[in-house]
Amino acid sequence: MRVPGRTDDHEWSQQHLSHYVEGDLIPRARRRLDRHARDCADCARGIRAMRALVYAARRLGGPVGVRAPETIFDRVRSAGAG
Amino acid sequence: MRSPDGPRAADLPETEASLLARAQAGDVAAFERLSSAYADRLFMLLLRLLGDRAEAEDVAQEVMLRAWRGITRFRGQSSYFTWLYRIAVNEANRALEKRARRPAGVTLGPDELQLPAPAALDPSRQAENSELRRALGRALADLPPPLRTALVLRDVEGLSTQEAAEIAGVGEAAFKSRLHQARLRVRAAIGDEALASTGG
Repeated sequence: MRVPGRTDDHEWSQQHLSHYVEGDLIPRARRRLDRHARDCADCARGIRAMRALVYAARRLGGPVGVRAPETIFDRVRSAGAG
Repeated sequence: MRSPDGPRAADLPETEASLLARAQAGDVAAFERLSSAYADRLFMLLLRLLGDRAEAEDVAQEVMLRAWRGITRFRGQSSYFTWLYRIAVNEANRALEKRARRPAGVTLGPDELQLPAPAALDPSRQAENSELRRALGRALADLPPPLRTALVLRDVEGLSTQEAAEIAGVGEAAFKSRLHQARLRVRAAIGDEALASTGG
């Protein structure tokens, strides 16, 4: 639920959720978002969603079963032989 | 933060340093050995950026050709991995620009950007995550290429902001701006409910 008179904080917080989870906010800005999210279910959920997004994306990385094609050096070989 | 994929040239292990020296002297086999250590990961990056296997294979060959032709200009200011990845991002962007100029009907489809599951996951876990992967793939496909590149390099590849920005060819502030925009768009596209199901 939004706090009356804090619309600016809400819009600002929604725009800075990624900065928040990335640790890119200066301490005063971080406290501002923390304070707002304590009273705003939307923004508290937004923080959880943004963390989950980063977590999900990172789980896609790491070792994968995809191999580079054997042809990857074909043009280099042709150029080297030329 | 140092790249997990390779030290800077000055600290290269003898084998990699000597391979580099031989490659710069024109030894194709040495270049292949040097670059093949990164080939699988580089190909995966291209798949993620392009979403099309045939195109990724073609671009991967072009990346290696450009790296080979430019190897004498590599001075070791960054790791070899970073240098190679930067060529890959440039070539992927070039391919995407070409694609954008083609007639309608051949643009990237959402299903083409489905991301391969990590091999380490067991089958039940892969099934559990398949819907989220599809949703992420669709959301990535809809991002403008600079935003997609930022999210893939930082969040999927897990590179540091400094290294990812260097590979993307922009300053750190500009890179972060792209990353934050990309995350906001992907969050909006996937929805908080679906993201919450990841348990992350």
